[in-house]
Amino acid sequence: MIANLLDGIVLGLQFGLLAGGLTMVYGLGGVLNLAYGQMAVVSAMVVVLSMEAGLGPIPAVVVGLVAGGLLGLLLDLTILRPVYRLHGEARVLLSLLLTLGLAFMVDGFLSWRYPTKALTLRIGGGPVELLGVRMVRGGVVASVITILVLGGLLLFFRKTTLGRAVRSVIEDEEGARLVGVDPQRMLRLILILTGVLAALVAVTRSLVTPVSVTAGFELTVSALIVTVVGGLGSVGGAILAGLILGMISTVAASSIGTVLSLIILLVAAAVTILIRPSGLLGVEE
Amino acid sequence: MLEVRGLTAGYQGGDVIRDVGFHVDEGEAVMIIGSNGAGKTTLFRAVLGLLRPSSGTVEFQQEVITGKQTQRIARLGISFVPAERHLFPRMTVRENLSLGAYPDRPDPDDVQSVFDLFPRLAERRGQRAGTMSGGEQQMLAVGRALMSRPRLLVLDEPTTGLAPKLAAEAYRALGILKQRGLTVLVAEQQVPLALALSDRGYVLENGVIRKEGTSAELTHDPDVRRSYLGVV
Amino acid sequence: MIEGYTEGTGTAVVGGTERRASRSLVALLGPVALVGALLSLVPLWLGDSRVMMGVAVLGLTFACYAVGFNLIFGSTGQLFLCVGALAGIGGYGSAIFADKVGLPILASMLLATLASSLIGGLLSWIAVRRSLGVIFTGIITLIFSLVFGNLVLGAAGITGGDGGFHIQAGADTFLRQTIPPYYLMLALLLVFVLSHGLLRRSHVGWAFRALRDDEVAAELAGVDVSRYRVYAAVIGAAMLGLSGSLFAFTEGTISPTTYGFAQVDVETMVMLAFGGIGSLFGPVLGAAVFTVIDELIQGLGQLRLLVYGALIIALFLWVPRGIIPTLGDLMRRRQE
Repeated sequence: MIANLLDGIVLGLQFGLLAGGLTMVYGLGGVLNLAYGQMAVVSAMVVVLSMEAGLGPIPAVVVGLVAGGLLGLLLDLTILRPVYRLHGEARVLLSLLLTLGLAFMVDGFLSWRYPTKALTLRIGGGPVELLGVRMVRGGVVASVITILVLGGLLLFFRKTTLGRAVRSVIEDEEGARLVGVDPQRMLRLILILTGVLAALVAVTRSLVTPVSVTAGFELTVSALIVTVVGGLGSVGGAILAGLILGMISTVAASSIGTVLSLIILLVAAAVTILIRPSGLLGVEE
Repeated sequence: MLEVRGLTAGYQGGDVIRDVGFHVDEGEAVMIIGSNGAGKTTLFRAVLGLLRPSSGTVEFQQEVITGKQTQRIARLGISFVPAERHLFPRMTVRENLSLGAYPDRPDPDDVQSVFDLFPRLAERRGQRAGTMSGGEQQMLAVGRALMSRPRLLVLDEPTTGLAPKLAAEAYRALGILKQRGLTVLVAEQQVPLALALSDRGYVLENGVIRKEGTSAELTHDPDVRRSYLGVV
Repeated sequence: MIEGYTEGTGTAVVGGTERRASRSLVALLGPVALVGALLSLVPLWLGDSRVMMGVAVLGLTFACYAVGFNLIFGSTGQLFLCVGALAGIGGYGSAIFADKVGLPILASMLLATLASSLIGGLLSWIAVRRSLGVIFTGIITLIFSLVFGNLVLGAAGITGGDGGFHIQAGADTFLRQTIPPYYLMLALLLVFVLSHGLLRRSHVGWAFRALRDDEVAAELAGVDVSRYRVYAAVIGAAMLGLSGSLFAFTEGTISPTTYGFAQVDVETMVMLAFGGIGSLFGPVLGAAVFTVIDELIQGLGQLRLLVYGALIIALFLWVPRGIIPTLGDLMRRRQE
């Protein structure tokens, strides 16, 4: 049970990080990026290819993170341009459809070119003893990295001028413009940042389980559900929801099987949305 | 300092303001008076780049700013306090003020001088803006606008929703700012308060400037007295 | 694309006279008959090939899906990302009723259709009651799709799980022959298009149009917006369920991918977007074109997905309103 809960926390933190990226972009620019999971997968493939080209694991991971950031920038510079001309629901809808198209393109290309590739990073050394439970070392390392990154993000948003400027756009875009913040530049910055985060999720995930070329859609859907449960636009909510859903998912999976646990997870998400459409920590409109 | 010529702007339904011209000189306090729906907010939104005018120009310190983005205009030295205030509701008073100084870090002296002007804000520095009263929010909006050390402060109906006492309080603060040399442009329905502050004024009716003059002239104008000062 | 929900063909007849109404009926029946006649010629050309007729039946099935989805999304703006799941309830439901319960085929089809219809209505009712916007409706229905997919996998005892199952019922009847399924499916499609057309000409259609153009204004004008949304979902989901169910019996085998999200929902959306969201014949045109395209790129393997992705992007960027409405606009402009 405790082992399952700890596994759930590992998974939940990754869910939270992924959902946090999705929710920031949505809160900031009204853009729902359905190619988010594919960004993670592409970064993972970049890591794999770099390692096959002879790079060590750490430099390869760095290359992967940079690739993630570049993907975010590319998204901002290409496919999202026409989206920025729209407003409100039309904007969300177009962003959703275009990034869905992109997601299919990426999936199609990757499963055609690299059908069997997957990223698996192994960390040497035996299991780690934690709360009297033996944990796989990779999972512990993944969690530590994720927690550090989450902490760093929190500091960035609370303490730095740039981080506050990003929050100001999420809270009141017109107010942000009136104090001189350029929402478009903040969105670009966050798209780059979330690209790096997606790559990071792929890397930490590969410490626990292989990240295959076809994992994109699943990652996006998980992130989407966690985002909605946590409250669109709320990073704290995304992390909280990620932890809760992560724990439900691993505990349920070990006791009643994967398929049923997934159903429970989905139903839990649906019920949350119906009871609180604004999400756990979202603001009531 | 600010020179507006022939400004026409509106929304899809049609023009709200037509061929509006006015100017504000350095160190002056100028008011735009008009009733609800006269076009004051539209005028300010067009000046600030929040709304694209269909014709006309806006010059600030000899530089044409028409068509520039709001955030650029803000960085040139115009601070705008909209009637809806547009504060950051889930941030504290302090964070709201800090963002006023964007992109720089806030100068502690500037924060202190805002607190001197509005002691209430000093008491509530850790409180979230969204949880404060209307009067406090108005103070915070003005305070935030001052943090960038603007050359021109533009206020749209700063007394909206305020009790008479708080409205008078707001204008007392504006008076102090004006004495310190800040140029002020204010749109107002509460004409007596604005008249006391301003050097000159314009009367906006149905989107057109009907009258202009010094505050003294406007105070004695029979139309103004009848329509805005409630004197029969 | 929100602005793009323009009518393709129909001219609004609101409170028109008898004569105008009957003329509009001719204006509806004419094109439906023409499309029906054209499509009924297909077996003369492909009838020798069992494989090609299978492709044609699948194309018609997708056209049916697209009409149902069009009624729900195009007419009332509810983004139902569970086209495959609702069709799957029809397909799996009727197959199970017929094979495992032993009901007659027709009865099991009707029961399963009723089930999809009720579930579609329920989803819409929830969305309306909680006033979920387009996005939240999309997410809730997407979750429903995933739940359905997992239920099918989980209840492997009756659904056959990953591998699906062979349907015994109707095995030696005309349902599994080469030509009859095509005409059955074509008849279903024509009935759907005709119903959609008639609906649009009735006061229900007037309400649809009003709430699509301006929901707030429609509400002010006294249209019970939420009720018409639920109506549209009930009817549209019934169409999805019925076509999914008929397809199951003509195919003889079903598996999770028969009704999968990536297979059904995405393709239906692309077809509808191409043909024209909200237009009467858009779904038919879209399904026809994409069935041909799909056949042409069959050899590309996984790259098909890439082509589809690129098509989605290109479509929504350059013809966001779909081919039929865009062409209609062009012609109208040339006339003026």
